[in-house]
Amino acid sequence: MNSSFKLDTHPRRPRPLMSEPPAGYFDQLPGRVMARLPQTQARETATAWRWLAQLSPTLRTGLASVAILGSFAASFWLSGSPPLAPAPMPTAVLDAVPHAELVGYLLSSGTQVENADLAVLTAARPSIANGFLHASAEELTEVLDAQPSDETMYL
Amino acid sequence: MEDHEILRKFQDPASRNLAFNQLVRKYQSKVYWHVRKMVIDHADADDLTQDVFVKVWKHLENFRQDAALFTWIYRIATNECLGFLSSKRRKFLLPLTDVGADLAAKIEADPALAGDEIELKLQRAILRLPDKQRLVFNLRYYDEMPYEQMAEITGTSVGALKASYHHAVKKVEEYVTRSMGD
Repeated sequence: MNSSFKLDTHPRRPRPLMSEPPAGYFDQLPGRVMARLPQTQARETATAWRWLAQLSPTLRTGLASVAILGSFAASFWLSGSPPLAPAPMPTAVLDAVPHAELVGYLLSSGTQVENADLAVLTAARPSIANGFLHASAEELTEVLDAQPSDETMYL
Repeated sequence: MEDHEILRKFQDPASRNLAFNQLVRKYQSKVYWHVRKMVIDHADADDLTQDVFVKVWKHLENFRQDAALFTWIYRIATNECLGFLSSKRRKFLLPLTDVGADLAAKIEADPALAGDEIELKLQRAILRLPDKQRLVFNLRYYDEMPYEQMAEITGTSVGALKASYHHAVKKVEEYVTRSMGD
């Protein structure tokens, strides 16, 4: 005859007889858990957008519509061609070139430059052609006087 | 570190990770064994223990402290275990007894039980209990947890827990007695 089993008489253990987890398991577990946690940045982002979830569906739909219309308006505004800058006048470009360089270019380009060509320039700035224009002030004045008046008025 | 200290530090983003690390170190063994007793297999227990702490991390900010921290963690662990066993049953379309048999096969293969016939029969008997009743049995018999705390964890009344444990003990004793005659 079998005696009946009584739990009270069986030696009580804090847990069933089971093999222990691998050595060092509980030393590594915290690190493995920490590695699985969502990133703090993602958590903060989620928190930052939590207010959106708390809005009513109607309000959320309205907000979405406004956002879409706003993005359309912004893209339309930004896609327009930028205002055209006024084209610089040709003389303005020439004005930016130093006179000495202009004179040097004229002298080296093979073109015969005569006193008449540079008379106006030296009249405005007497020292500019000192290095290469061998003409006295009187000679230049004569050349200028000899030019037709309709040409000089445009210089 | 005391629970209130862990919770206080967890609220501060600068010390949150450190506080949570302390929490895991403090409760990992209890959670692991609570889970292991339910799922038997170490690999499953390992996965579930990690899942439990990840859930604790996600919800600790909203922990209202109307229960002890440990009770709250135990509740999460309990739900994870029951969910795991339930999904396992659904996944393989297994009836309750087959899941018990699967767990029994695992525990029989455990070298720690080799040669201890009575203990083996006891474990087989426990694994034949329905999941929730087995949970009650584990909490009371192995952890010697007060019924009031068990009630907080399981969301069941003290009276119902006492009745459940009483029936569980009877079933276990009957099974072991019967199997001793085999």
